[in-house]
Amino acid sequence: MTAASRPSLGRIALNGAAGIGLLYILLPLIFVIWLAFFRQEIPSFPPEGYSLKWFGAAANNKAFVSGFVLSLQVGVAATLIGLLLGVPAALALVRHRIVLGPAVNTLLLLPLVMPGIVLGTALYVFQIETEIATGLPVLGSLGGLVAAHTLVVVPWVVRLVTASLVGFDRTIEEAAQNLGAGPFTTFWRVTLPSIRPGLVAGGLFGFVTSFGNLEMSLFLVGPGRTTLPIAILQYLEWKIDPTVAAASVIQIGLIAVAMIVTDRYVKLSRVV
Amino acid sequence: MSATAPEAVAGARTGLAGALVVPATLFVAIGLIGPIAILFRYSLNKFIPGQFMVDGLVIENYVKFFTDAYYINVLVRTVRVAVICTLVCLILGFPLAYVLARMQSRFKNLMIMLVVLPLFVGNAVRAAGWMTAFGNRGAFNASLTGLGIIDRPIEIMFTENAVLIGIIAVNLPFMVLTLQSVIEGIPRHVEEAAFSLGANPAAMFTRVLWPLALPGILAGTILTFILAMNAYATPVLLGGPKFQMMGPLVYGQFAQQNNWPFGGAISFILMTATIVLTVAAHLVVQRRYR
Repeated sequence: MTAASRPSLGRIALNGAAGIGLLYILLPLIFVIWLAFFRQEIPSFPPEGYSLKWFGAAANNKAFVSGFVLSLQVGVAATLIGLLLGVPAALALVRHRIVLGPAVNTLLLLPLVMPGIVLGTALYVFQIETEIATGLPVLGSLGGLVAAHTLVVVPWVVRLVTASLVGFDRTIEEAAQNLGAGPFTTFWRVTLPSIRPGLVAGGLFGFVTSFGNLEMSLFLVGPGRTTLPIAILQYLEWKIDPTVAAASVIQIGLIAVAMIVTDRYVKLSRVV
Repeated sequence: MSATAPEAVAGARTGLAGALVVPATLFVAIGLIGPIAILFRYSLNKFIPGQFMVDGLVIENYVKFFTDAYYINVLVRTVRVAVICTLVCLILGFPLAYVLARMQSRFKNLMIMLVVLPLFVGNAVRAAGWMTAFGNRGAFNASLTGLGIIDRPIEIMFTENAVLIGIIAVNLPFMVLTLQSVIEGIPRHVEEAAFSLGANPAAMFTRVLWPLALPGILAGTILTFILAMNAYATPVLLGGPKFQMMGPLVYGQFAQQNNWPFGGAISFILMTATIVLTVAAHLVVQRRYR
């Protein structure tokens, strides 16, 4: 083997192996998207023809529509609360020396690595205890679901806002204050614009995490009140057909758009 | 934010920083540690059929799990599936992670997005994709019969293989992203130095790249192992009701049996495995790299 041919041969093998890996990751999404456009209802290959009618069927399915609406409500609410909690925390963690700073940082990122099943069971019993203690309906309520989702939104906000703050020059703020700006003006006119990429990315990632959450939500939804991923799961336990595939395509599309928008603000390769 | 007082001295800044970080910290501490403490307390309660949960301080739920062959089987199967999935993820993920890390074209970001997108789409949707492929007349069997390789469809749905294929696809992006970020931190010229000193690609990989990437390999391995141990949607949809793993077992105890103490105990066994493995791996990494 000559020195010249060795790297190129190795390169081809390497790229081939990488291609297989990427294809493997994408294959399930390709199949779902393909199925959504089948003409016949049975998922048999090759398809008899193609049609868009299943998107109408998915839009007329009550479980999917109400699931979509609930997922949207919970996602937006959890994202807003998550931003309110996470942005100040990230600002403080990057800019100030905080007692136990690293420990606090680890705690705030912990919900991200907690398995959904464990988080779901733990929050389930916690909400039952809260119900017993306060007499308020918590389990299965919108508020209970939003609180749980906020827990998985906060880590993303902290992580992405922190990432966008690392290169930020403190002296610009000091300059603003020297020129007579109060703390509020400084924050609004100087700090906020500079962390906007992290803010947008954190919010979108948080929303997407909440919108796609399945395992944790499974324990916390009430009867007749399910999120879109749970509606899809329950439908799939019964059967697979182009209607559920069409509902999945809508979810994939929404998440893809959110990711492309995020990428305009913070390069994904830097934060995930 | 607007309510904060003007701050000039260091002392005031520290107070402000506290005020900024406390709400989120309290929220996560109460929302995460509180529930886990209650879950542990529940797991020590008794369950009497018909009477529901009775307060107690017993370890019988844990004893029940570790003395019943059925539950031990479920745990062993879960660990086996998790180990296989993790190893395959490492083998499949490394080349992709390496190529992504060393890539410099404008397609890099697009490639990363393609790896990340499935992560956020959710496990049920990806299981749906495999369900489309695995059926008797699904894409796999149709193409295999079409090519004349088989004349009767292979049973893939509701087998361990289906679950393995599904979980590997779910976890592969995590492995790839973890490895990619570590490989990106290894300077290119370290590899070139190995080559110029006469190492062939295999020697460069085993003697240079692998040892340097080891922290990432460990992190990715732990992450995918934890996720595979805790898989829910994939075993339920691709394994069917007879293929039990720990995740569905926990859910069944809560949702169908209403046996909260036992469900809590199983959930705790799962989580303990998670924490023990994470801590152990951290210790190993720290010992090696200090």
